Amino acid sequence: MFKKILKSVLAIALVATLGLTGCSNSKPAESKIETTNKPVVINLEGEDVGYPTPFSHYSRGPGNYKMALIFDSLLERGEKGYIPWLADQWDISKDGLTYTFTLKKNVKWQDGTPMTADDIKFSFDYFAKHPPVSNDLAVDNKSFIQSVEAVDAATVRFKVEKPLSILLGKIGNTRIIPKHIWEKVEDPLKFNTPEAAIGTGPFVLKDYNKEQGAYKFEANKDFWGPKPMVDTLQFIPVSDSVLAFDKGEIDLNGKITTDILPKYQNDKEYKVLQNPAFWGYRLIFNMDKRTELKDKDIRQAFAYAIDKNELVEKVARKAAVPGNAGYLPVGHVWFNPKAKNYEFDIEKAKQLLQGKKLSFKLLTSNSNNSSNSNNSNDELRIAELLKISLAKAGIELSINSADTKTRDAAVKKGNYEITLIGHGGWGGDADLLRTAYSPQMTSSQSPSANSIPGYSNDQLNKLFEQQLYEMDAAKRKEIVFKIQELIAEEIPQIPLYNTTGYVVFKPAKFDGWKYMFDHHEVTHNKLSYLDVK
Amino acid sequence: MNKSSSILKKASEYLLTFLVILTLNFFIPRLMPGDPFIFLSSSEGQVTITYSEEQIAKYKAYYGLDKPMIVQYSSYLANLLQGNIGYSIYYNNSVLSVIGKRVIWTVSIVLAAIFISCLIGTVLGSLSAWYRNGTFDKVLYSFIIAISEIPAFLIGIIFLFILAAKLGWFPLSGGIKTFANYSNSIEKVTDILHHAFLPVLTLSIIRLGEFYLLSRNSMIAVLTKDYMRTARAKGLHNKRIIFRHALKNALLPIVTRVFLSLGAVFSGAILVENVFHYPGVGRLMREAVMVRDYVLIQGIFLFVAVTVLTMNLLADIIYRRLDPRVN
Repeated sequence: MFKKILKSVLAIALVATLGLTGCSNSKPAESKIETTNKPVVINLEGEDVGYPTPFSHYSRGPGNYKMALIFDSLLERGEKGYIPWLADQWDISKDGLTYTFTLKKNVKWQDGTPMTADDIKFSFDYFAKHPPVSNDLAVDNKSFIQSVEAVDAATVRFKVEKPLSILLGKIGNTRIIPKHIWEKVEDPLKFNTPEAAIGTGPFVLKDYNKEQGAYKFEANKDFWGPKPMVDTLQFIPVSDSVLAFDKGEIDLNGKITTDILPKYQNDKEYKVLQNPAFWGYRLIFNMDKRTELKDKDIRQAFAYAIDKNELVEKVARKAAVPGNAGYLPVGHVWFNPKAKNYEFDIEKAKQLLQGKKLSFKLLTSNSNNSSNSNNSNDELRIAELLKISLAKAGIELSINSADTKTRDAAVKKGNYEITLIGHGGWGGDADLLRTAYSPQMTSSQSPSANSIPGYSNDQLNKLFEQQLYEMDAAKRKEIVFKIQELIAEEIPQIPLYNTTGYVVFKPAKFDGWKYMFDHHEVTHNKLSYLDVK
Repeated sequence: MNKSSSILKKASEYLLTFLVILTLNFFIPRLMPGDPFIFLSSSEGQVTITYSEEQIAKYKAYYGLDKPMIVQYSSYLANLLQGNIGYSIYYNNSVLSVIGKRVIWTVSIVLAAIFISCLIGTVLGSLSAWYRNGTFDKVLYSFIIAISEIPAFLIGIIFLFILAAKLGWFPLSGGIKTFANYSNSIEKVTDILHHAFLPVLTLSIIRLGEFYLLSRNSMIAVLTKDYMRTARAKGLHNKRIIFRHALKNALLPIVTRVFLSLGAVFSGAILVENVFHYPGVGRLMREAVMVRDYVLIQGIFLFVAVTVLTMNLLADIIYRRLDPRVN
């Protein structure tokens, strides 16, 4: 009752203030009132990415992140690195074989059952039997966990097979599912009841409509952690994100092209963020098919003959940064600025080629595999520009294009000479260098996992192993820096550019948007919706 | 030839066609390069999870894709006989439910569009034929030819920008208001119609030319017949001659076309559904092919095949009714 009265008093106060401030046209005051009194409803562009459980979301698209709104993990990805989440503290034994996590107290599942160390143990054991869609619990296709033990209600101990430097993030990022619900589930892929979407997370799934691609999440009132700043989070179908944003149907537009950017930049009502460069295109050489490419001079000639700035300007319309020869993009926590940089220089390329005339087939995709067909032919555009500039140095490219799946299958089989591939994940743990360059790799977790056929360098391989086993972060960073320098010199593949798309929103309505340290999308970050400093 | 043997012949024809379609449906998706689990790339700014070899092997075993093709084929047929059309690999749901929930959207806009385009096209075509080579005919003819040459998605986008975004008369996307609470069912139906208006309008415009030209030609042919001269000689009213005497006879090819154009309208629906983000089968089909969801592709094409065959059958039957000359 008291609350009701309070609410109506506040409402009257709100109307009064609005009336007063309306004349003086002060927007900030208006916004403050809005955020403190009214429930905050945020609408975002949605598409069907599957039922948000660790097993039912789709592998393409942000289903993983919708699921993470409901399901927590031991650690969370903050702006600078991993931060304590379900686990308050953790300890790694000296030999790197034992990980001990101390859990937060008073964590409850969304159905009211308390969460304990048993749930943690259960989740990891269950995932070992039934790998979830996004499975972090393997290194090079092999599970690395030997055993999980619930020492007491608030302590979990992991024993791992090998002392690897990359395991904390992998264990920390694994979703925790409730034992009392999932222990009865034999076929998790078909478990799509409302019960399946119960986690400990800050949001509760209220509605999901597969055909429309719509999701409705509400703040979990009993959430153990930082207070949700959004009361209702809705993902709704959108035909054109610019139109929908301008009409106020969605509260953030992540598909801003450079052409319409000034419209928002010059208006104080809007705020524009530029995404970190963690999505990019790279050119991969198949040295098994074309042994000439084993010659470093030829690869360097390629690097000099490609005008990355031109690609950034003409294809990405300046919403990108030129690729870094050392692979890790600018903005990566371990980016080495000292790695060799290949300035566009046709003469140098010619010198390196020593008058050789070479011709290669470049495989690209011609179809856009997103439901939004705005940027459909970027790969072909890149290919055409490459063809022109490489021709000047004496390298002839003929372009073959196929639909994405066909191209991906050909790449997987090594059925190409040179290919162009675009994917995300460039902000991930630096071990992605190993999965992208090491000859032992056939495929693994990360989208970049696709080694270069026919390429092997003993010095690099040794460094890859070293960083994988170096438990001291500072020392490991040194090794990773060395790897980047070596890779840049060797240039076994050429990162072309990394996109830095724009995000626009009205800060008066909601201003919580944050990036994870390794990811390029604010809406994917559940910390965006929480009161975290 | 007696009647029952002719029915038998027809039935076996349909059965054979059906079997051929089933077989093609099964093999063509599987012969395309790529499989449902390989994702190396993502579209710009998007995220994709790349499965490990171990995961791929597990999934393949789970969905029975590791077995020899012929074994998969026979189990597909066996399941089909029991009415089980499978479980979608990508959508993680039974194909029947995935398709079922969307079919209703597509079928409604497709039927509405066929009805509208057929009605308007036929009327305009008949008038055009009556006034053939006059100004009315010439203007209408070039106008309709012009608009039916515009690609479907372009018409859709123009409507979206002008009628939905600029004027705000219609919603920008979807088939129904998301998370709406309706106080009564009339409100709900109005909302659905409101959402369906632009997709239906776009689809109708695309099909309009076809029906217009067909009825115009057919009408011109009929108008030169002797009995038309008789009708005119009797001093009958123009309207009566066009719509009563001529159109009835000119209608045959139009009726056939209504049923046969269903396949084409479905393909138009794919584009239109994409533009308006309409929750129909068209968008689903595109997605299914893109992610190589074999089971779902089979399901959708099975549905389309059954629909088209049924329509053929209906056309056959109705044709017999309308035209006594067909035995």
